[in-house]
Amino acid sequence: MPESSNKVMTAKEAVNRFVHDGDHLVIGNYTVGTCAALVFEIIRQQKKGFTLYSQSGVFDVEVLVGGGCVDRLVTTYVYRAGGKEGGSAVERALRDGSLEMEDYTNFQYNARLVAGMHGFSFMQVLEGPMVTDLFSKRSFMADDKYRIIKCPYTGKDILTVPAANPDVCIVHVQRADKFGNAQYWGALGSVAAAALSSKRIIVSCEEIVEHDIIQSSPQLTIIPAYRVDAVVEAPWGAHPTEVLGYYNLDKMAYAMFFMSDMTGDGLKAWMDEWVYGCANRQAYIDHYIGKYGSGLLDAIKAKPYYSAPANYGSAYISSWEDNGRERTMGVTIEEMEKIMEERGLLYG
Amino acid sequence: MAKRYSLDELLIITVAREIKDGDRVILGVGLPTTAGAMAKALHAPNATLMMESGIIDIEPCVPPNHIADANSCRGFSYATDLFSMFTMTYRGFIDVCFLGVAQIDRFGNINTTVIGDYFKPKMRLPGSGGASDFMSYARHTILTMRGGEFVEKLDYFTSPGYLEGGNSRDDSGLFPKGSGPSMLLTTKGVFRFDDTTKELYLSKLHPGVTVDMVKKDVPWDLKIAADLSVTERPTDAEIDFVRRFAPTEAVGRKLMYELGISNALNKAAARQNN
Repeated sequence: MPESSNKVMTAKEAVNRFVHDGDHLVIGNYTVGTCAALVFEIIRQQKKGFTLYSQSGVFDVEVLVGGGCVDRLVTTYVYRAGGKEGGSAVERALRDGSLEMEDYTNFQYNARLVAGMHGFSFMQVLEGPMVTDLFSKRSFMADDKYRIIKCPYTGKDILTVPAANPDVCIVHVQRADKFGNAQYWGALGSVAAAALSSKRIIVSCEEIVEHDIIQSSPQLTIIPAYRVDAVVEAPWGAHPTEVLGYYNLDKMAYAMFFMSDMTGDGLKAWMDEWVYGCANRQAYIDHYIGKYGSGLLDAIKAKPYYSAPANYGSAYISSWEDNGRERTMGVTIEEMEKIMEERGLLYG
Repeated sequence: MAKRYSLDELLIITVAREIKDGDRVILGVGLPTTAGAMAKALHAPNATLMMESGIIDIEPCVPPNHIADANSCRGFSYATDLFSMFTMTYRGFIDVCFLGVAQIDRFGNINTTVIGDYFKPKMRLPGSGGASDFMSYARHTILTMRGGEFVEKLDYFTSPGYLEGGNSRDDSGLFPKGSGPSMLLTTKGVFRFDDTTKELYLSKLHPGVTVDMVKKDVPWDLKIAADLSVTERPTDAEIDFVRRFAPTEAVGRKLMYELGISNALNKAAARQNN
C-alpha cells in the first residue's frame, strides 16, 4: 500500500514498476490533458496485452493500439482520422482481428468507474439504451456487458453495468506534490473516477510543487497521496493536447498526427520519429523545438488567469494566546500544571 | 524525574500509541483527534489523518469543535465528500477508526443509540453517526468508554464487534477478514480481544486500579491476561504535546469548565471596569 513518502520518479521507472503486460489499463484523462508522456513511455517499453479503458478513444488509444499494446478496448468513442477516407489504428486493428472492442455510452462507461471507485459491484444506468444495439451487440464482455434487474422499490426493469477496477491508471494533472497529492482543474470529466477506481495510480504533472501549495488549495486535489504509487514531473507532458493554465492544444502537431494516422505506414513513421525516436518527454520537446523552433510552443503557452484566492484562514492556530495564556481557561501552562497537582489529578 | 500526568492524558497517550506510521486514520472529535495529532507529531509522521466530513491529510493545530472543523487545521491536502469517505472505508483504505462506547457486550458489540426500550427510551443517546459503518469496514476500531457500561445484552445493537464471538464476524461474510475492534480503553484499564474466542479480557490496569475494581463493573466472569500489567507511563514529550495542543483535554472536562467559566467572568468584569 502506498505510504505518504516521496514517490517522485522518472516516467521510465514508474512504467517499469507499475505497468505490467496483460493489465487492465485506464487512461485517466478525457480528451484534454492526455497523459502523453506516460502513454509514449508504455509504448517504448513495449508493454503488451492490455485491456484498455478510455473514455474517448482519440490520440491516446490510437498510439497505444498502433504500438501493438492493446488486445481489448473498452470505450465510447473512436476518432476517425481524416474523415471518411482516412482510417484509424483502431479500425485497422478491428479489421485484422488483433483488437476486440466493447462499446458503451459515455455515461455507462463513467458509471462503471464510479461503481469501482466506491467499491460497488454494479451501477444502475439510464434505461434508454436498452432498446439499442449498444445493449444487444456484445463483444468480450458478453453477458456481463449489461444485466437487467428488477428495482426492489418500484418493480421497474433497471439497466446495470458492472464495476470496473482497472489494475493501473495513468493520468496527467496540472500539479502534484512529491507525496502524490494530485491537483487538477477544468473539465473534471471522469478523471477522478478513473484514478480512484484503479488499484495502482501513476500521476504525471506539469510541475511538482511544495506540499504547502497543496495545503493552501485542497479543493483542487482530485487524487489523495495515500492512493498514489508514482509521481512523474513531465512539463509539456500532455502535448499535443492541452493543459488548462499551462498551454493550449497544438493544432498543428495534432493535425500532423492525424494525417499520419490515416494509414498504418504513416502512423508507424510518426511513431518512429516521435515515440521510439525520443527517449523521454524532454527529448520529444527538444526534437519538436529543433524541428519547428520554439515559436509554436511559445504561441500556445497560457497567459495567467488566476482563480480568486479562497480564504482558508481561522481566528487562531494555537490553544495558547501570544501572552502564554490558554484561551479558554486563562492560565499559563505553569499555572495549569500547578492546579492539576493541587487537585490531585496527577499520577506517576 | 519524569513528569507526572493526569488520567485524561494517560488515556489520550495510550490510544495514540495504537496508531502506527503509515496508518490511514479516521478521527472523531475530542480524545481521538488529540491522539491522532500526537501520533503524527511524535511517532507516526506518515499517518494520514482524516475526518468523515471529507477533510483528508489534516494537521490539526487546535482541538476541533466538530468533525467538519477545517478551522482547526492549518491546511489539508484533499477535500472530498462524506459519501466518498464511507466508500473508501468500505473499499478497505482505512486502517484505524475510533468509537466512544455507551454499552458494550463481551464480544465488543456496541450500543450508542438508546438505553432502555427503543420506543420508550430511558435515555436517548446520539445514535450511529458514522460508527456502525466505520466499525464494519475499518481494519481496526479503537473503543473508548468513560461513562458507559459493560452489559450481558445490549439494549440496542448499533455497531458490530465480533458478533457471537469466535469466527462469527468473519463467517458472516459482511466484513473485511480480520477486521474489528482491537482494544477498549476505559478509565480503569485497557482491554483486548482473545485471538480465538474474541471475548474481551483485561490487559492492563491504570495506576491505582485493582482487578476487583474492574470486575465490579462487568456482569460476567471477566477474563484477565496472564501477563496483566500497569498501563505504560507517558513520556515527557507525550505529556508536553497534549498540554500544548489540547490543554483543556489535559485537565479534563470538570476543571476545564471551572477554570473556563471563571476566566470568562473575570474578562467580562475587566471589560466592565474599563
